[in-house]
Amino acid sequence: MKYSGYILLAIVWLALPFVLERHAIDLLVFCGFYAVAGAGVGFLLGQGGIVNLGQAAFYGLGAYSSAYCTVQLGLPAPVGILTGVVVSLCLAFLIGRPILRLSGYFLALATLALGIICSNLFYEAEFITGGTLGIPGVPKLSVLGFALDTPTKFYFLIWPVAVLCVLSMRSLMSSRIGLAMQAMRDAPEAAMVLAIDISRLKLWMFLISSVLGSVAGSLFAHYVGFVNVDSFGVERSIFFLLVPVIGGAASPAGVLVGALFVGLVPEALSVLGDIHRVLFGLALVATVVFFPDGLIGLLKRLADTCIPARRQALKMEQSR
Amino acid sequence: MPISLTRRTVLGAMLAPAIIRPTLGHAAEPIRLGAILSATGPGAGVGLPQRNGVLLAVKAINEKGGIAGRPIELLVEDDGSNPDAAVTKANNLIFSQKVKAIIGPTLTASTLSVGGVADPEKIAVMPFTGLGLEMEKQRRSVFHMLPTQDLNARALLEFVTKNMKTRKVAVLHDSAYGNIVMTKLKEVNATYNVDFVAAEKWEVGATDVTTQAAKIKATAPDVVLVIGNSATPFRNLRQIRMNAPLMSALGTASYEYVRAMGDAADNIIFAEFLVAEDPLPYQKDFVETFHKEYDTFPKTMEASAWDAVHAVAAGIAKAGPDATPAAISDAIRGPYAGAMAKFDFSAPDLTGLSLSSYVYSKLEKGKFTRVPFTAGQ
Repeated sequence: MKYSGYILLAIVWLALPFVLERHAIDLLVFCGFYAVAGAGVGFLLGQGGIVNLGQAAFYGLGAYSSAYCTVQLGLPAPVGILTGVVVSLCLAFLIGRPILRLSGYFLALATLALGIICSNLFYEAEFITGGTLGIPGVPKLSVLGFALDTPTKFYFLIWPVAVLCVLSMRSLMSSRIGLAMQAMRDAPEAAMVLAIDISRLKLWMFLISSVLGSVAGSLFAHYVGFVNVDSFGVERSIFFLLVPVIGGAASPAGVLVGALFVGLVPEALSVLGDIHRVLFGLALVATVVFFPDGLIGLLKRLADTCIPARRQALKMEQSR
Repeated sequence: MPISLTRRTVLGAMLAPAIIRPTLGHAAEPIRLGAILSATGPGAGVGLPQRNGVLLAVKAINEKGGIAGRPIELLVEDDGSNPDAAVTKANNLIFSQKVKAIIGPTLTASTLSVGGVADPEKIAVMPFTGLGLEMEKQRRSVFHMLPTQDLNARALLEFVTKNMKTRKVAVLHDSAYGNIVMTKLKEVNATYNVDFVAAEKWEVGATDVTTQAAKIKATAPDVVLVIGNSATPFRNLRQIRMNAPLMSALGTASYEYVRAMGDAADNIIFAEFLVAEDPLPYQKDFVETFHKEYDTFPKTMEASAWDAVHAVAAGIAKAGPDATPAAISDAIRGPYAGAMAKFDFSAPDLTGLSLSSYVYSKLEKGKFTRVPFTAGQ
């Protein structure tokens, strides 16, 4: 009974491609990319209290690495994905060491600057990125000879990847390192007294976040088949930050809910005409104001109220 | 007359419906077309005029009885000037809505991404861009409504060398579309032998380019080519008293940009396709229809949008309303005489525009005046 909710979710997830139209599955695939890249941002925000406004830089590095390796050099897709990860790790290491000494607004601004610099580099490094025109013709991913050339096939790849990211985060959070992260976030001075190497811990978190951004970017490139600088601007970084903020940064699963929100709500509102952007902005404000724990917090509260077993457990906890 | 931004027009634009259904009176099953336009984001400056042209064309065709007696139903999607969003919109239009053809997208990046989805399905796409990359020539269902950047570059240098008879040229361009034209200017310069005394770039979205303008002024050019989608460089050049003639490519030839230029909007020359104040004979009907509907004059973007819908309608009429998308694409692939220019969608650049298709205009007190010059002769 403990896992009945998860089993139900898995059944719904499996059934969706057979029920929904191709367009809806396409949107869900994009939500998957947002979830993976947003998981990195959420990890930094929820566990380290670090606001990362530069995730699009790593997303772009992953996408361009995959596109360049496969289209220009003719290398297999895994080489491109791995190249993206290595390049992102190198950049995160080089940039992370100096900027992670900062904190609060200054650190957020430093990550924002990283995003802007990389966006400009993507424009200028025309010989690699194709500049304004980008790189078209990125081949579809193929797993054991099975081409992931439709939204439905990709859906069955990206969502397990996203869930795997969330489970890894959860596992990390419940380990000793996770406890050290929470100590660093909630009481940095006390954490230092306990011999927690804060700068090293922050760097590790930044590296993990960059890898997630890069992997999401690589998968995005292979799915869409076209990479262009317009996909990796500051707006995209803000979008990735919205994922954990809306979903709930405290819980790793929040990014899954947040990704669904930022991916599906604008599309649902678009039938109302050009005003949809204004309405989406209002929806964001309302979510942040009314659900400070994010949508995952709301879902937990609803579950506590509606599911008898959870309600009883909650009552027992309160009576103690 | 420029469009005035009243509360009514702003609200009207914001509440513009996403689906344009044929009016009552058409009993026949509608022919469904899709449109992907940049109604929001950086591309909205050209995307919104294009939407006006598309909507008017659909209305005009339906009022004349539709295509073979069947009205057009138009589904308008906004890609937010983002190529990723354009892909999801294309997936919706092609696979869920089963449209016969797609009008748009507005921007080059979106065109490249939508082409990747539509071309394998042989769905005709009519983007408001010129051919961007060589590989696009293989996409036989993507027909371009605007000239290639190579042709845009030639059109500018034709006027500079043959009409203005000068060779000391400075270029101020943006980091996106202007960057591509700048590259092409250098490539085609072997033919024109112009001396580029300065080439300065501004980032897309920049609100001040005075520094670049000052560098341009210091080289004392005979003419400054301003290439991009922004009124800012024109204002900044005039603010620092740059008195040399300014010449612009297609991007800023619209009343909205002219209004944004303010007092700087004088003595600017445009290489474009439609001067509505003085239209060519084949453009008169469109200009009158547009003016009657919107109480304002159209420019190139509106005309190309009008032509895109009419070219698709002609293709569907030729292939038959129940023809497959591939048959419709085949029917479109050929000459088409539009209001903007004469196209040949079977040409290698999938546009068929030539230097002689251009008309040149000069801004005088906020009004476009046609300059009697024909390029390519």
